[in-house]
Amino acid sequence: MTPEPTPFNHRPDPVLGSALRRALSPGDQAAFVARVMAALEGARAAHWDVLASWARAGLAAAALAVILGGLFVGRAGLTPASIDDVLTLAAGPSAPVLVGASSPPDPSFVLPSAEER
Amino acid sequence: MARAVAGDRGAFGVLVERYAAAVRRVARAVLGDPDDADDAAQDAFLSAFVKLRQYDPQRPFGPWLMRIAANAATDRRRRRAVRRAEPLDGLTAGGPQPDAETQRRDLGRRLREALAELPERRRTAVVLFDVEGYSHAEIGRILGIPEGTVRSEVFHARRALRVLLADWKEDAE
Repeated sequence: MTPEPTPFNHRPDPVLGSALRRALSPGDQAAFVARVMAALEGARAAHWDVLASWARAGLAAAALAVILGGLFVGRAGLTPASIDDVLTLAAGPSAPVLVGASSPPDPSFVLPSAEER
Repeated sequence: MARAVAGDRGAFGVLVERYAAAVRRVARAVLGDPDDADDAAQDAFLSAFVKLRQYDPQRPFGPWLMRIAANAATDRRRRRAVRRAEPLDGLTAGGPQPDAETQRRDLGRRLREALAELPERRRTAVVLFDVEGYSHAEIGRILGIPEGTVRSEVFHARRALRVLLADWKEDAE
């Protein structure tokens, strides 16, 4: 039997340590190590799944932004012609220009111009 | 160690093999139940892998890992519902067993029961000191308590556990 311990005893007690080691000794070591490594792989896969889901959401958002941007730019290209543009062009072959315009010209400008002809 | 810090799983696997038994024992000292202890030990290793970049290679790895393990076990102990799940190990396995082996298993069971009666910090301290061989100063850093408190905890734990050990020796003789 080892001597009675005191608060100042700085050496491990081999008898008690050995008994405790036996009492607490875990089961299959190899199985536990394999379990930890499998959990590590699982955590890694889950990590990539999260990143992939974020990437998918990011790509979807980017695609939507591109589509909306394209629509905006396209619509900007279809800005209605101003009445001045129409009247300037009307000095030449007026009918096709007026028919092709996306918005009707102001009649108060068009009619006097026609009367002058 | 450097390879493990760099994310090499094989190198980390070597660390797991080297420290698994100690981490599982400490977790079991805290939790009692071996399945809960293994869950906590696994949590500790996964947590350690994530935190490896925070580890200072100038310091010993064991106490750093044990601190994570003790915290993982304590967290799990706080989370779980209080339940008694003390296994009887080989005592329920059936069939006659040699006396010495029966007595050894009986001592193990009684030691675990006695450990379970101790405050958590006390039983962790005595296991880290007498089983795992850490110094009082290292245990102080692991548990986040002063070195003098560690000495006191180990002393009280030993006094309680040695009574059991003495009884067992007398019975065995």
